[in-house]
This record gives sequence, C-alpha cells and structure tokens, in this order.
Amino acid sequence: MKKLNIFVVIAALLFGLNATTEAQITEKPEFGKFAITGATIHTVTNGTIEGGVILIDGNEIEYVGNNAKITNEYTRIDASGKHVYPGFIDGWTSLGIVEISAVAVTVDNAELGDFNPHMYAFTAFNPHSASVPVTRVSGVTTVLSAPSSGIIAGKAAVMDLWGYSPDSMSVKKSGALVMELPSSTGGGWWDDRSEKEIKEEYQQEIDEINEFFEKARFYDRMVKAYEADPSGKTKPDFDPRMEAMREVLAGEVPIAIEVSREQEILDAIEWTKSHEGMEFFLVGAEEGWRVAEEIAEAGLPVLTTTLYTPSRDYDNYQRPYQNPGLMAEAGVKVAIVSDDTENSRNAPFEAGYAAAYGLGQEEAIKALTINPAEIFGVDDKIGSLEAGKQANLFISDGNPLQPMTKIEQVFIKGYKIPMDSRHIQLYEEFLDRDAVNK
Amino acid sequence: MARLYFEEINAVISAAKIIIRTGTMKKYIPLLVLFFVGMSFAGLQAQTTPAHALTNVTIHNADGSTTESATIVWRNGVIEAIGTNANIPFDAYEMDGGDSLHVYPGFIDGLAIWGSPDLPRSQDLPRLEEPGNPPYDRAGIQPERKPSEILKEDKAFEAAMKAGFTTAGLYPNGYMLPGQVEAFYLSNESEDVELLKESFGLAGSFDEAPGGWGSGAYPSTMMGVMAQFRQVMFDATALQQHMKYYAQNPEMPAPDRDQVLEALFPLVNQEKPLYFEVDQKEHIERLFKLQDEFGFDAVIVSGREAYAKADELKKRNIPVLANIDFTDIPEWYKKQKEAEESDKKEEDAPEEEISDEEQNYREKQLEAWKAEVTNIKKLMDANVSVGYASAGMELKDLSGKLEILLDEGGLSESDVVKLMTVNTANILGINKTHGSLEKGKNASFSVFNKVMSEEKAKVLHSISNGTIHEFEGK
Amino acid sequence: MNLRENKMKKLITLFILVAFGFTVQAQEKGSVLIQNATVITVTNGDLEDTDVLIRDGIIEEIGKDLRAPRGVETVDASGKFVMPGIIDAHSHLNGVDINEARNPVTAEVTMEESVDPNEVGIYHALAGGATTIHLMHGSANVIGGQGETLKLRYGVSQEEMKFEDASRTIKFALGENPTRVHGQGNGVQPRTRMGVEQVVRGHFDEALDYKRKREAYLEAKAEFDRRGRGTPPVPVAKNLRYEVLNDIIEGEILVHCHSYRADEILMLMRVFNDYGVENYTFQHANEAFKVAPELAKNGAHTSVFSDWWAYKFEVYYSTAYNASILNANGVVNSINSDNDQLLRTLNHEAAKVVRYGNTSVNDALKMITLHPAIQLGIDDRVGSIEEGKDGDVVIWSGHPFDIYSKAEMTFVDGTKYFDLANDADDMRIHINPGTEFEDGSNFRRIVDNREEDACLQDTFILLGEQSAHNHN
Repeated sequence: MKKLNIFVVIAALLFGLNATTEAQITEKPEFGKFAITGATIHTVTNGTIEGGVILIDGNEIEYVGNNAKITNEYTRIDASGKHVYPGFIDGWTSLGIVEISAVAVTVDNAELGDFNPHMYAFTAFNPHSASVPVTRVSGVTTVLSAPSSGIIAGKAAVMDLWGYSPDSMSVKKSGALVMELPSSTGGGWWDDRSEKEIKEEYQQEIDEINEFFEKARFYDRMVKAYEADPSGKTKPDFDPRMEAMREVLAGEVPIAIEVSREQEILDAIEWTKSHEGMEFFLVGAEEGWRVAEEIAEAGLPVLTTTLYTPSRDYDNYQRPYQNPGLMAEAGVKVAIVSDDTENSRNAPFEAGYAAAYGLGQEEAIKALTINPAEIFGVDDKIGSLEAGKQANLFISDGNPLQPMTKIEQVFIKGYKIPMDSRHIQLYEEFLDRDAVNK
Repeated sequence: MARLYFEEINAVISAAKIIIRTGTMKKYIPLLVLFFVGMSFAGLQAQTTPAHALTNVTIHNADGSTTESATIVWRNGVIEAIGTNANIPFDAYEMDGGDSLHVYPGFIDGLAIWGSPDLPRSQDLPRLEEPGNPPYDRAGIQPERKPSEILKEDKAFEAAMKAGFTTAGLYPNGYMLPGQVEAFYLSNESEDVELLKESFGLAGSFDEAPGGWGSGAYPSTMMGVMAQFRQVMFDATALQQHMKYYAQNPEMPAPDRDQVLEALFPLVNQEKPLYFEVDQKEHIERLFKLQDEFGFDAVIVSGREAYAKADELKKRNIPVLANIDFTDIPEWYKKQKEAEESDKKEEDAPEEEISDEEQNYREKQLEAWKAEVTNIKKLMDANVSVGYASAGMELKDLSGKLEILLDEGGLSESDVVKLMTVNTANILGINKTHGSLEKGKNASFSVFNKVMSEEKAKVLHSISNGTIHEFEGK
Repeated sequence: MNLRENKMKKLITLFILVAFGFTVQAQEKGSVLIQNATVITVTNGDLEDTDVLIRDGIIEEIGKDLRAPRGVETVDASGKFVMPGIIDAHSHLNGVDINEARNPVTAEVTMEESVDPNEVGIYHALAGGATTIHLMHGSANVIGGQGETLKLRYGVSQEEMKFEDASRTIKFALGENPTRVHGQGNGVQPRTRMGVEQVVRGHFDEALDYKRKREAYLEAKAEFDRRGRGTPPVPVAKNLRYEVLNDIIEGEILVHCHSYRADEILMLMRVFNDYGVENYTFQHANEAFKVAPELAKNGAHTSVFSDWWAYKFEVYYSTAYNASILNANGVVNSINSDNDQLLRTLNHEAAKVVRYGNTSVNDALKMITLHPAIQLGIDDRVGSIEEGKDGDVVIWSGHPFDIYSKAEMTFVDGTKYFDLANDADDMRIHINPGTEFEDGSNFRRIVDNREEDACLQDTFILLGEQSAHNHN
C-alpha cells in the first residue's frame, strides 16, 4: 500500500532535478495602511455590514464597521458593490510540502517510520511552490499543510500563503499532530485476512499506539519532575519524539485523526475517550452522517470535503454533499477542506456544495474561516474580520462559493498581494501568442 | 478394472462385520458376500464374463418415477435387463439388495477439471520479454490439450464416485482456450478412468492470460480476450486455407504447421461446440456476439446468470451446464429461517433491530440470492436444455449446495436427478449410452443406502461401465 | 474524413443485420412537455418562458404555450432552467476493464466490449445532469483501444446503452503514461517521446503494408477459386489490429489522444498530416494553449480539465486558463471529467472556464454539450436543444452554473431517468448477494488523489500500487 514506486523514483531522479519551483512573481506587494470602502463586509463573527469600511494598518485589521474616518495616510480601495471576506483557510492540504505528487523527489509529506511526532511540515514547507500564488489569488490565504504517513505522520503547520520563509508564513508551527488509527474492519477486496485476524491485528496496533502515548506521558512527568527540582536527580536523556509529544499531551496541539468509515469513526471516538486531557478532531469522516450524533456527543470537530462519490454503492447520490450539513445539524463543528495539493483553491466549491445541500451559506463560510481557525487554535489571529486580527482577507465580485465569482484582490497579513500566478502569467503570454507578428 | 485384492477382501469382510454388529441392515450381508465372490470370478474369467444381477432394489428413474423391488442385470458394462420382471440369466451373480437400497442412474458431471495438471503459480511464471506478444500457452491459448493425454492422479475421482458420479466431461484447467472436452467413465483409481468419448468440444472462457502484474501477458482484459479470440480464429482460418491449398498444390510454399491453430479448425469449421465457462449476463451477451461472428455451436458452462438470458438461449439452442456453487446463504436469512423453525417451541426469541436502510438492503440481497439459486429452475421453465457441471466446485461442497437447490431452488429431487443424469447426457451427446437405466445402456449407476435427499444418505457402491466400486469399507 | 459517409456505412450495416434476422432492440422513447422554462438552447441563446415538447424521444417543438398532445405528461418548469444533457467526452465510468496495458498498440480491443451497464455511478451521473459519456480505453498504450459512446440509459443492457450511430473512436496516448508502462515497466519501446512517435509511424506503416498484402491475397484467392487452376496464393490472415489502424488512416475512426505537452501535440499533428488523418481531439492537453494557433490551423479539437494541473511533471507548466485560451483561438474545446466524481459536477467545472479567462457563459456551456458532441460525431443528434434533436435534456432548479442549482429531472430520449422528487437511496440494479450490509469490501474508493490521471487506473497494478486499483 505504501510501497514506493521505483519507476517514479527513477523518473523523478532523472527529471526532478531541473524542475524549478520558482513562482516567478516579479511584482512586489504593497504594505502599509489601506482603507477598503463601500463593500459588503462579511465579518463571519459579527454579521454582515453593507457599505462598510475596513482599515488595515500593517499586519493587522485596524477597524471594521461603517463609521470610520479615513485619513490621507490610507490607500483607498473602492470596493463598492463588492464583497469582502476573511481569507479562506484550507484546513487540510499538502500544499508547500508536495510539489508534484507523481515526482517522488518533490514529495516531502511522508517520512519513513510509524511514529514521527517530531516531523514538522513547517520545515519542508516551500514558500516558492508554484501552487502558493495559484492558491492565494483564489482567496485561500491560509492552509493547514499536513504530512501523511505511518501512524503518527508528524505535525501539520498553519501557514499563510505569503512570505519568503516558513518562519514569516507560519501562523502556528504546530497546527495539529497528524495521526491515523488502524482499521478494525477489512480493507477491501485485496484484504484477505479473516475477521479474527483483522480484530487481532487491530488490537495489537491499538496497544502499540497506547504504549507510545503511555511512554510519552511518562517522559513528560519525568522531565517535569526534573525541571521542577533537578537536585539529586539525573537529567533524563533527551528524546525528540517524546519531546514533540509534550505540547500535544498538554492540549496545546490538537490531534488530527484521519477516518472515513462509520466503524473507523466510532473506533476513533472510543480511542479519544481513553486519552483525556488532549484535543482531537477528525479528518475525512465521509460516513460522518451515519454517526453524527455520536461525533457531536464526543465533542469532536470534523474537517471534511464534499466532492467525492458516495462511499457505499447503496448510498444516496447526495450524501457526500449533505454530509457536512448533517453533521453540523447534529452539533458538530465542521470545517470544509480541499484535501488536495495544487487544487487547494477549490475548497470554496467543496463548501458551496455543502451550502447547497443543507449546511447553508453562512455556515459554509464559517466552515472555511472561523471554524478551522478555532479547531487549530488560531482564531485569535485569523478566521474573521475583526479589529486586531491579522489582515487576511479578499475582495470578490460576488459569492466566493460560486465558481464564476472572481477574486479581485487578496490581502495576507496586511500585504496587498499581486494578483499574479503561473496560471495568470501563462494566460497573458499565450492568449494571443503570435500578437507580435500581427 | 476392479480386481479384488486381499486387503480389499478383508475390508469387505470387516465392513460386513461392522454391519452385523450394529445390526441395522441385516439384509445387506448377502449382497456384500456376493460382490466378493462375483468379482473374484470376473477377474479370473476374461473370456466369457458372467453377468451381474442386483435384485430387490428401488430404482429411481431419470424421469422421476421409481420402480420398487426391481432388478438390474448387466454384462460387459451393458444393461441386459431391468425392471420388476427382469430375467436373471443362469450365469448371473445375483446380489440381493434386500429391499433397502436405492439405485440411481450414475450422475454425470458435464464439465469438471478433475485430473487436470496443476496451473503454474503466477510467481513461478518467468517474466516475458514481449508481454504484448506472448507464446500461445502464456496467452492462455492451449486448445490442443486433451484431457485423455494429460490426465493425472486426482483424489477427486474417488470423491466424485462417492458422491454418485459415474461419468464426467473433463477439460484441462486453464484460461481463455484451455483445451478440449472429453467424456470419461469414472473410477476410484485415477489410472482406471477411461475415455468414453474423445474430443467432442473445445473449452473456452473470458479468462485473461496468467501472470499477475509481474509476468502477465496479452490479453490481460476481457476486451483483450475478445480480440485475441477473433485473431486466433482468423489465423486458424488462414492456416487451414493454406494447408488445403498446399495439399493440392505442392509447388507452393509449405504452410508452417501449428498444433495450436490446427486444434481450432473444428471450431472454425463449426464442427465442434465451444464449451464456454461464463456466469455474468453481460458476459453471456459477449459470447453471443462471438457466436454471431463465427457461427460455432456453444454450450454455456457454469452460467450463474443464464436465467437472465433464458429466452435467447432457447432461441439460439444453447444448452447450459449449470454450476450450483451458489453464494452462501445470507447469514441473517439463515438465522431467520432457523428462528422460524424453532419458533413453535420458543416464542420469545429476541427480535433483531435493524434500520430501514439495512432492511431494504437485505430485501435486495435476498432477491439477488434467490435469483441465483433459482437459475436452473427458471432455465428449465423456459425450456432451455440444462444439465449439471461442477466447473471447478469442490465435491465437499456438493451436498450443501444440493440442499439449497432443493430447499430454495424450486427443484424436486427428481428434477435434480434428471438434471444430473439424462439432461447432462443429452448435452454431452452421450445419451445413447448414458443418463438413464434402460436395457442396452451403459451400466453406470450408484447404489445409495437410502433416498439420496434424506439425511445421512450415502453411496455404498458405484457401478461405472459395469465395474463395481465398493466404498463401505474404506 | 466524411462523417456522413461513415454513418451511411453504419446504416447499411444495420440494414444488413436486420435483414439477417438480428433484432436491434428498440430503446424506450418517451414523450414529455416541459413548460415555462428558461431554455438554454446553446445554439440559439436562452429562451425565456418557453416550452419544449419531446415526442417519442425527439424534440418536436420549442415555443411558447405549446399544447400537450393526448397522453403526454407535462412538467411545469416555471423559474427553472432546461439545458441539453451534459456530454462527457472522457470517461471511464463503467468500464469492465480500462487498460489492455500489455502491448503499446492495442487498436483491436474496444470498450464496446467492456461496458458495465449496472454501475450505480451511471445514476449518480444522471443526477448531475449528464446524459452521454464517451467510455474510453485508458492511456497506458500509444494506440489504445477503441472507445464507445454511451447514453446513460440506466437499467438497460450494455447493447441498449450504446449511442446508436455514434462515430467510432479510438484512444491514443503520448508522454509519461505509455513511456512509464511500456518503457519503464516492461522494457519495450517506447521509453521516450521519440519512441512514441516511431511506435505510431511504425504501426501505421505496418498496417499499410498489411492492407496491400491482404488485398492482394484476397484478389488472388478470388481469381484462383474462380479459375480453379494455377498456383494458389499463400493466405494472409485477417489482422484485426491492422484493420483498425487502416480504418484510422482512412478517416473512419475519430482519434482521441491523451496528451499533455505542447511538443507531443505538435508531433502527433505532424504524423497525422503525413498519413492524412484529419479528425482528432487532444484529450487533457494541458499545454494545448501553448500551440493553440497550430491546433486551430489543423482543425484539431481539445478536451481538457477545467483546472487540474501539477499532479505529474508533464502538467506542471499548465494553467486553468487553458480552455479560455483555446476558445479565444478558435479551437473547438470541451471540458471533460475523466473521473466519476467530476462527471457529477461537470456544470460547475464548465463554470470555472468563465472564472478563468472570462469566456462567455454560453461558450462555457458549449464545452459540456455541443463541443463534446462534435468531438464524438453526435452533434447531429445531441448537444443543443433544437427541434429534431434527441430529447436528452435536464431541468435545473436554477442556472446550471449556480452552485446552488440542482438537476431536478434528467431525460434521455424523452424518458425520465432521474427525478429528484422521487429519488430513492439505494439505486443499485445489480446486487452481489454475497456482500453483507456492513461489508468493508463494499466501500467504494473515494476519488481524491490525483497522483495519476484516472485513465491509468488499471495499470496501477502494473506499477505495483495495488491499493490504488479501483474495482468497484
């Protein structure tokens, strides 16, 4: 299943080397004070303001309302008839750590080994990935870039899509610990294990995971005890894995558990119950609607998508679209994500389907903004248009969940972003390729 | 031929002792003793073989009727007399069935892979240099193979006889064109399995070339098999033409003889039918397409969904050698049936709670399952000629599957007997000698201890081509 | 090539079949009067408050205040939109197998013989407003198998799903996929784009040689059989592969070529010009925009993704503006799915063409209706709402490009195959009785990774990635 394809590796070695990943953006962003006027402002947390004003000062939103005095220091942006939204957050992507998924040498989201809490997507995040500008000009200003491999893949990072270093782009280096629990049911047509074997293997793997957490707790207690009073104690050996688990055990970094099927979800809920003091959320949960009440009761937020085919062949065709709405109705906090890399920018359309099939417009917008911000613990910085928050926002000519809507201007951390990307540059170069000869 | 050796004699005697001791079947003793005597003589006197007569048995005829207190007389493998008034010749070794035994015409497996050489395992096949242009055998094209030439020892033969089979159509296990179809007299010793009818058909299926991902070859898909089938037919046509021309015109370049293509000539010439193993409705339609293109006669083997094409099968005059390797009964349905049977005793069985969704699922599942197990019934009702073929099903599964066929498949015991005897004989074209117990037909029948559908029914003796095979002692 | 002539031939074949007693089963043709809708004709603008009368499967009349003939059901579509059924020029939705990947050239195989009419995804596609798909062979081979155009008549036989009289098509594939599967995987040519060109040329040449020899043989044979003396010819066996290749050269088959890079697109046009192949469509063609003028000059068509890119190296330097650039340069372009999920939402995929490059809404609509119809040689039957065309239409709750719009009814030949108001959960028509409700093996693979294009799906197994092998 996780076998590396030798041919891909060879091919990648052969041509991966000259695969430049520069974004080639030459235009510089503007930075300073901006006043966006006349727009319908969708604050997300404080309702909608018609014909309002947003003031940006440096990295932050200074003011949101309809009664501001705009001095000459501000660069005015007339957005009459337009809409302003907080920058969208794509809460689950490999953007920045996977450049071309079929070219193995550009794939940095899967380290070897089963327990890698000390692997940071932050480290491998390529600020110059061609996908970064392509994504941000579509209104997705922030992503959770997540590794994926083994049981504990590492830590996903919350990254703004503007900057020249991971450090300057990072909203939260440890956005989530990414984890995949074993499956207690068969794996599909290729899985020829007996029911008994499946159960035994499941229990074995769960035991292994629990043991890892037990060790981490022990390490944490031991280090704390030493730090509290080192006198007469030998300094415990440093263990990078265990060390990386400490912020998770403290509840500062949530654990993202990847699940799909009904039983996997129930198993995950069961597992989280036996691990108190930590934060969790589910990722995927394609069959979440089947156990929405149970998820809600367990208080687990969910990151999900809508554009996939029904998980069971006897499911109604609408279930994937309805899934977020049905979970939200049961009281689950839902974020909509792309679960993609280079097409991270399509998260708004995934949300559009959720909106049309039960979630509703307002909740769908939340599912792209404040909800993921809260789930990752960055709602003090992003996720809504509020004074004091990071100036991550965009101006659109309509409802951003609509595929025909155009995103006209994006701000990230106060930077007025050049609306340019490889896609746009190629468009400009080739729309009338031979114009010079005409 | 069955010659009794000392061990076997001892075995017969010890079996007799067991029976005497248990005292359940006293009338059975003389029969055993006579078998022993009679067969010894048969071995000694090859010139004028004495006859055998089995008396006082219930004969189950292929048409569903039974004849009680009947006698069968046979000599040299041929039935001389049968019925209640059968004349027992002076040189017949008479065996008394004691009115407790049941005789059925020998069951015929229309197409089995017993005795077939093992297929090489995928991982043992060497990687091909040109997977797109493999040698015929690696493509699964082996129509030249005859079971009579490659038959190997197989425990299934004995198991088959114990299950009541005396006769079978065999083909070599393989892929798209695995070999030829031949009929055999069964024996419990593999080396005594004798050819009854030589190469009267070719076997085929939509199976792609073997080898898996490492060493597979063209054709690797259903559509590839379709195309490759056509191509070998075209190639065979051209070779045959060339051979015909050359026979008359030796001055022209000689053809490259090719046993594989030459084995296809009877199919090209529409002289022999194609015994095609196929289950899905859509695959059956694909077979029709090939049949329309090449005009051969076809026999469907296995045919789980043949009912869905019953009318067209009838129209095309395509018989079906049906498989009864049904999907296991749905677990919930089995429980439900058991509960219903025990309901009368216990009223307070807890009711299982399931969602509407699952209820709906179950209804569809059951409908699909019933459609499968009533396949043969529906084919019979549509007047499609339908016989029986194990087509790979293991004999240990037979009784369970027969039970389903009788309980849920809408078939009576006599339907089943007919299916496995006269119907199958008709399809294989061996009905002049096999398939029913009549004067002049081959002496192939099985002696059961009770009616075959009753619990604990088993075959005590099996007579194949007149030779008696004895199981009780083994 | 002359499409009409091709159809004539097919028609003649049909007559012959009928004469010989083969029954071509009649499709179920329906009648319906859809009233008061905004009718998106595609070829004649949007008509407000208009009725569409379909009788016996054919659009009989488009106009205002039409009266329903006796016995014809009416549907009030006030405030709703009616558009032609969506056509997907690139699908693998219900293929039994997709890739006969063991030889670089497999022109003789055909998806016509790989149709699974029971795939529940057909219903899902209908629920997304699709009525016709081009079921294609995969992209493992330089010259793959022939395609089959299907109407999504869910519940009929494989034969009855076929789009009657649609042009024959065949799949070609250039670039990474054939070089990976054959060159890297099996150690046979092609390993490079250089090799890909020679595989095409080599096989065309062999096919022409074959044709010459075969015809000479048949002629000599007829002569010999007639005169009954002399020396008979050495037989030349009929060769299916070469026959199909000759049909391509003679213009009887539309080529649909999987391709990405601009250079390989130019290469194939060069080869086709040399052999006189005229009607072809480049599938995916992520870099088609770079050679849009050449495509336009050669009359080549394109069928592209709305926005997929960067999942493999040969699509890294591409743009979501591809379709708009092609359209602006006069290339007949369609938007395809190549994916069972995208097939459900092709209307919104087309809407992205408006987003990326300001293509007009009507032109974007053409990319999922009229243009794929042209590319499949069925534009005389479907692709727009016109009198005399097939009654393949969809009623949408709002404009089909609106994310809130839902297909409410989908008609094929005037017969309603999807009705949102009467939409049951379990729409399977073929059930495996051995699969229990909870059975994990029934869990369909959720299509969310684009490491490979879907059209290489059967060959994952060749490349050792068993888990990705899709078998639902």
